Amino acid sequence: MEPLISITDLSVDFISENSINPALKNISFEVKRGEIVALVGESGSGKSVTSLSVLQLLPHSAKYTSGKILFSENANESEDLLLKDPVALAEIRGNKIAMIFQEPMTALNPVITCGKQVTEAVQRHQKISYTEAKKITLEWFRNVKLPDPAKVFNRYPHQISGGQKQRVMIAMAMCCHPSLLICDEPTTALDVTVQKTILQLIRDLQQQSGMGVIFITHDLGLVAEIADRALVMYRGEIVEQGPVKELFSHAKHPYTKALLACRPANHNKPERLPVVSDFLTIADEPKILIADRSENIPEQRIKVQGQVLLRAENLSVWFPAKKNFFGTPLEFTKAVDNVSFEVFKEETLGLVGESGCGKTTLGRTLLRLIEPTSGKIFYNNTDLTQKKKEEMLSLRKEIQIVFQDPYSSLNPRLMIGPAIAEPLKVHKIISQQKGRKEKVVGLLEKVGLNADHFSRYPHEFSGGQRQRIVIARALALSPSFLVCDESVSALDVSVQAQVLNLLNDLKKEYGFTIIFISHDLSVVHYISDRIMVMNKGKIEETGPAEKIYSDPSSEYTKKLIASIPKGIVA
Amino acid sequence: MLRFILKKFLYSLLVLAGVVMLVFFLFQGFGDPSRLVMGQTGDSATQANIRKELYLDQPKWKQFLYYVNDISPVCVHSIEEIQKKKLKGFFIGGHEKFGLKIPYLRQSYQSKREVWNILMQALPGTLMLAIAAMMIAVLIGIPLGVVAAVRQNSWVDTSAIFSSIIGISAPSFFMGIIIAYVFGFVFSGWTGLHISGNWFDIDDATGARRLTLQNLILPAVTLGIRPLAIITQLTRSAMLDVLEQDFVRTAYAKGLSKRTVIWKHALRNALNPVITAVTGWFAELLAGAFFVEYIFGWQGIGKVTVDALEKLDYPVVMGSVLITASFFILVNILADILYSFVDPRVRIG
Repeated sequence: MEPLISITDLSVDFISENSINPALKNISFEVKRGEIVALVGESGSGKSVTSLSVLQLLPHSAKYTSGKILFSENANESEDLLLKDPVALAEIRGNKIAMIFQEPMTALNPVITCGKQVTEAVQRHQKISYTEAKKITLEWFRNVKLPDPAKVFNRYPHQISGGQKQRVMIAMAMCCHPSLLICDEPTTALDVTVQKTILQLIRDLQQQSGMGVIFITHDLGLVAEIADRALVMYRGEIVEQGPVKELFSHAKHPYTKALLACRPANHNKPERLPVVSDFLTIADEPKILIADRSENIPEQRIKVQGQVLLRAENLSVWFPAKKNFFGTPLEFTKAVDNVSFEVFKEETLGLVGESGCGKTTLGRTLLRLIEPTSGKIFYNNTDLTQKKKEEMLSLRKEIQIVFQDPYSSLNPRLMIGPAIAEPLKVHKIISQQKGRKEKVVGLLEKVGLNADHFSRYPHEFSGGQRQRIVIARALALSPSFLVCDESVSALDVSVQAQVLNLLNDLKKEYGFTIIFISHDLSVVHYISDRIMVMNKGKIEETGPAEKIYSDPSSEYTKKLIASIPKGIVA
Repeated sequence: MLRFILKKFLYSLLVLAGVVMLVFFLFQGFGDPSRLVMGQTGDSATQANIRKELYLDQPKWKQFLYYVNDISPVCVHSIEEIQKKKLKGFFIGGHEKFGLKIPYLRQSYQSKREVWNILMQALPGTLMLAIAAMMIAVLIGIPLGVVAAVRQNSWVDTSAIFSSIIGISAPSFFMGIIIAYVFGFVFSGWTGLHISGNWFDIDDATGARRLTLQNLILPAVTLGIRPLAIITQLTRSAMLDVLEQDFVRTAYAKGLSKRTVIWKHALRNALNPVITAVTGWFAELLAGAFFVEYIFGWQGIGKVTVDALEKLDYPVVMGSVLITASFFILVNILADILYSFVDPRVRIG
């Protein structure tokens, strides 16, 4: 019996004007009917390229230089998808092989209603009337457990939540009963609790229909939850494959080991997180690392009950949700709702919550990047909310912020040297240009870059390097208080480990205080001394990191922790 | 939606009030137009009469109030005034009547005809010309831009860009002369078109009007060239952006044909900047296009206005400025409604 899909010796090159970049190098694997195969790897490893090449959805600059993609729908005969003409391929797309993409926010057409987008797929592959197609669509909306299918049918994508959008995507993929479903990071952009339900849904649908699934993810925790087999990809090659249990318990390739080891979930502060280079350079003697970990008994976390650096009292930030004819607000969205807390000097306070809980708004309000509606913020016993714009300027040196997306928080037209030097100039700390340059080079070296990087532009750096640059910029003013807003969320695990290590090192050296905002509980657990959990604009609970993580008291926190993929195979 | 339109409408009344004030003080605020009306000859008694008729003997603020009362559709007039100014509308009340009327834009200094009538006679020509030019620009420009984007870097793309750059850089009076000469004179026998001509002609024998819409072709093409070039470029760059987006990939993954993906999924997402350009140009064309109207002998607002300016016929100029301003406001409201129609994410309210 032929496997459902069998990829042999596939190579893909990306051709640009003056260079050829190989994206895939001779990869081979197969997926059987009714099997969930996970493709794991970090960004740039070629896992998305692999999945897109099955349906040949890669941009025109991609060339298939060798290999076959044999698809066999009915067990006996198979056909090479790479040899199909566009018309025949379009017959297969969405019909026999369907795909779910990473970003439900951008993967649906914003100007067409959800229902129409699904009926369109149904009508494309089945010769039926619109009314019948609509019936099938509503049926699938019920199958993917969308609330009120008839209503969602007429909604535009921006009117429903991220999880609901992903459900619409799944309905769209499943509506023609495909025999192979390719999921490209389907839950990466979603909250953990939503992720859990979506995974459950995909697994249920797979079991009902018996289809094969290729599940692409960078999250090893997920692999253990969902897949039967896993393939680990690194730089366009499959470095290891096997049943998930085996892979987790007896990883052979150093890269797989590195990926497994550098997840913050397995570590406690002040232990340093291992990074990929630890493994790949010492690939011959991986024992060293294991020894390392057993010796490294976590010290007690710093007991911070000392001086209060920042105190928020009854802080509220409301945004007008509905206005009357004259622009007077009638209803408000309470992003932050009557919140009080304290931050102690030199501690790391983790702020967790799902998207929309108000954690980012709260972080920005502390810097008065957003004006609070009511309440007080005391910093070193002075009320920030009473300060005038000009007085805030001197305080801005003290409080700095590191944003989520290192790609968009650096000005693409500004070289990174001048970008880091800019705050020094604004605050008139160093007036001589030469002095500023020296200081910037010093900062670059601190974050693991060097003087050569001074006159380069942001696009010449990788994501991890950019986040280091952003940190260097924040540190230029030697702040005593740092707000990190999802600063490692956009990064790969191994890069994330580097940045977290860097933050810990810098903190040890400079002794600043951090509010670390993240949706990822395991990261927050690793880096924080205390954790504050937010839900719907209110604080659910606050407590020492260890206690919140292992023994939460509020229901919401319990649910949040239960949703984290454990990454441990039973 | 209704609330939004009402709000926009109230804002536009404010804008119009500003325009009226500006127009009045620019053209009537200083100097004494009675000499312009009187011409070369006339004694001081005639001048005094004219001054009285034009309210020039009143203080400036009163003159302004009278002017506003004249142009406003909601007004108060005496019976004599209504008869003298031949006001059309509904009036109630005794001697001083309150009413709703067609705006009274006063009389031309030169021809003594009513400005409203002069402008209404020129308006159909301008409307036809503007609509025809925009139709040419939109119906050719958008498809051309889409094709150029889809076949990026092919000969179609490069020649579309090249010709649109020529289109943008060529001034319309220059293109007008060339087009009029080539198609209306050199190849006149072949095209059957003439250098100049209005949209109607008066039959010599019967004196009846007959439509001569073929005269519209050359001026419309001339006027359409620049918006066509700009719309092509805007559509192209917006489409290039949209074609990179995830939902286009999703559409392909559904198995849709290239044609459906491009025309149904991608194009609507690319239309926002195009609407801005189309409505902006359209409003501008409604103000009249003097050079083109002049070259092709087309009766439109632009030609009427410039002629009036030359003769210092201020009431006509003022009237045409007000009408143009009203058109701009209308088209802008229309554009806002179009945005929300094309992209449901644009929230109105």
